[in-house]
Amino acid sequence: MKFINITSKGIKETFRDRRGFTYLMTFPILFVVLFAFAFGNGFTPFFTRGSNPHEIAVVNHDKGETVFLDNVTQQRNFGNSFSRLLGNVTYENGYTNLFHLNNVSEDKANEMLKSRSIDALIIIPENFSGASASMINSSVRTEITSTVGAQVMGNTIAGQNPTPNTLAANNPLSEVGNVTAALIIKGDTGYMDFGTTQAAITELLEHYKNNVIGEATAGTSARVGVLKNPIPGDFISAETLSISGTQSFSLFDYMVPGLIVLGILLQVSIIACSLTHEVETGTLNRLKISKMRSFDLLLGTFISWSLITIIQVLVLIIVAIALGYKWQGGIGSLWLATVIGIIAAMASISLALLIAAFVTNERQAGSLSAMVAAPMAFLAGAFIPLPKEAICQFNGRTYQIYDILPWTHAVSALRSVLTYGSGLDGDVIFEVRFLIILVSILFVVGVVAFSRVRLRAER
Amino acid sequence: MDRYVLKTQSLMKEYDGLIAVDDLNLEIKKGEVFGFLGPNGAGKTSAIKMMVGLLKPTSGQVLFNGKETGSAEKGIIGVCPQELVLWGSLTCKENLTFMGNMYGIPRSILKEKVNTLLEALALSDRANEEVSTLSGGMKRRLNVALSLVHDPVILFLDEPSAGLDPQSRLLLWDFIRSLRDKEGKTIVLTTHIMEEADALSDRIAIIDHGKLLLLDTPEGLKKTIGRGDIVEIQLADATVNKRVTTLIKSLEGVEEVKELRGRVTVRALNATSKLPQMIDLIESAKGRVLDVSIRGNTLEDVFIYLTGRDLRE
Repeated sequence: MKFINITSKGIKETFRDRRGFTYLMTFPILFVVLFAFAFGNGFTPFFTRGSNPHEIAVVNHDKGETVFLDNVTQQRNFGNSFSRLLGNVTYENGYTNLFHLNNVSEDKANEMLKSRSIDALIIIPENFSGASASMINSSVRTEITSTVGAQVMGNTIAGQNPTPNTLAANNPLSEVGNVTAALIIKGDTGYMDFGTTQAAITELLEHYKNNVIGEATAGTSARVGVLKNPIPGDFISAETLSISGTQSFSLFDYMVPGLIVLGILLQVSIIACSLTHEVETGTLNRLKISKMRSFDLLLGTFISWSLITIIQVLVLIIVAIALGYKWQGGIGSLWLATVIGIIAAMASISLALLIAAFVTNERQAGSLSAMVAAPMAFLAGAFIPLPKEAICQFNGRTYQIYDILPWTHAVSALRSVLTYGSGLDGDVIFEVRFLIILVSILFVVGVVAFSRVRLRAER
Repeated sequence: MDRYVLKTQSLMKEYDGLIAVDDLNLEIKKGEVFGFLGPNGAGKTSAIKMMVGLLKPTSGQVLFNGKETGSAEKGIIGVCPQELVLWGSLTCKENLTFMGNMYGIPRSILKEKVNTLLEALALSDRANEEVSTLSGGMKRRLNVALSLVHDPVILFLDEPSAGLDPQSRLLLWDFIRSLRDKEGKTIVLTTHIMEEADALSDRIAIIDHGKLLLLDTPEGLKKTIGRGDIVEIQLADATVNKRVTTLIKSLEGVEEVKELRGRVTVRALNATSKLPQMIDLIESAKGRVLDVSIRGNTLEDVFIYLTGRDLRE
């Protein structure tokens, strides 16, 4: 019956280590909360829950067109009215907008697409109004000619003069024209949110076309006394445009950069346990008595784990490639990704130092690290993009709450580099700079905490 | 030049109202083996931790060669803790080389020093094996070697021979003596093995409840505390021990009588000649003797006399 004694011992050890037990218990609770946040309706109270708007940017190149509507010749820009519709349309609940429009340039919008700050970019072509006019004219012409044709047929059957009445004379027919336009819906085709946004916009475009035609033919129908159901024709269509290089991307290809960061974050547990092991076994005391400086220990720890990170990142990429991972930018991208990984690893080391400063044994180090690192990976968007939670805007850029985590920027930078083939410029340089700033802050905090608590004489 | 390598002046450590070390004043001479004895919880570890700079004193100070610990050069202290403080996944040689590097010892000197230590502590044939594969005795010897790799002036050995077999213990004792006699090192030795303290120490300090009780040579301690020999008497019925103890106390020449571990322990001058009188008194108290032994006064007797309890309580 020795197993009973062993069980009893295990239970006693677990319960008596109150901090470790608390971490152990908090870990799953934290995950439930995070998953509810990501996949549920966020932290919105249940009585106010609704759907979230899709983040989009609209670039309107439409030049406008002169159209004959309601017996009046007028200048119209249908691109503007479609943009307004996108901004105003709501979900069925009537108070939540279907889309949130980001007022940015096309270049900026393209950057935002890569960082998944927006789900789709809508480009309204310059001939959108021209195509709209053709669509209207075609519909009106169809409406009138079919009505006139019906009257001629009626007169003929009644034995009257088959000449059309004054209807045609009172309703001059514009030239139909042959202008067609394609509304571009641009985005990452491997991104789930793009798919839903694209479907919603395509549906809305059809709705919009029917409304425009309905409006144009309403007056005519009223005059001829016949209400028809006009067909918009093929003048305006919606086309999907993938971000360069993502056409054949799968969800796995999208997730690999996040998995690299997850691996780097899991190092927190190993490093914190290894540092705590040095404390627990007394080897740290042996080192403290020696001529070793805090700087030596911390730098040595950093270098050894950086080397491990290089190996880890490379192995992860090699395995991913063997499993069919497609990345952009060739070998240069892999090296840049490795450098970003090393910087992110410094954040993990810093976090591990911070944890190792306050735990009393390896068990606590392992539990607390897991409790901190796994949600960090989640919040950094390593697995899936999280709901937008903007905290401020600065220099034309919206900052999410997740931006305070260095790993968020590591994920973004790695995605830009590996998924979109970006070099060390534009958005990547911004993310790397932000990453370095946050890592430096965390490193200082970690080093100071560990040095003060562990490397000085006990009090 | 000061003949004392280490001094503690009014050293005190208090933890949440509990005084672990209380006004400890010690002077440790250069080139001596200084025994530091005390029962568990007496304040030895706290005192040593303060001496080596791992623990901040509540008050008082520690001086190395006349300088405070903080300003003393780190390389002059070597510490061999009671626990095995080793890097298990490194080999013996790697452990020693790593620590040598931590003390900034030049490579050429370090290589020779590592080999010398491995040889002296009979670890040469396991030099390139991972520490985790070594026996307990080998690990303990390596633990000692690690504290010496930087050639310290003063070495703190905390229970260095705990768990060692008799052969290993004798090897270690010879090694400690050679450190003092050949290399002139000062050694502060903490041990629970009285025989070890007696055999190795030039002077011994006994502390309890954080206070220094006595400091002298082993012989001096034995003379100061206990004149005469020790007679240990085991009776068939332990319930009469108390009565017998009172009766024997009245005998002339008996210095002390105590009941320890179920036996009546008598310290008396010329104990052998007093044995028949003691037997008579036992019989008068209706006691029956099961076993009697006579031996010389030991350091353990001194220790028990001072601390009032067995060392391994």
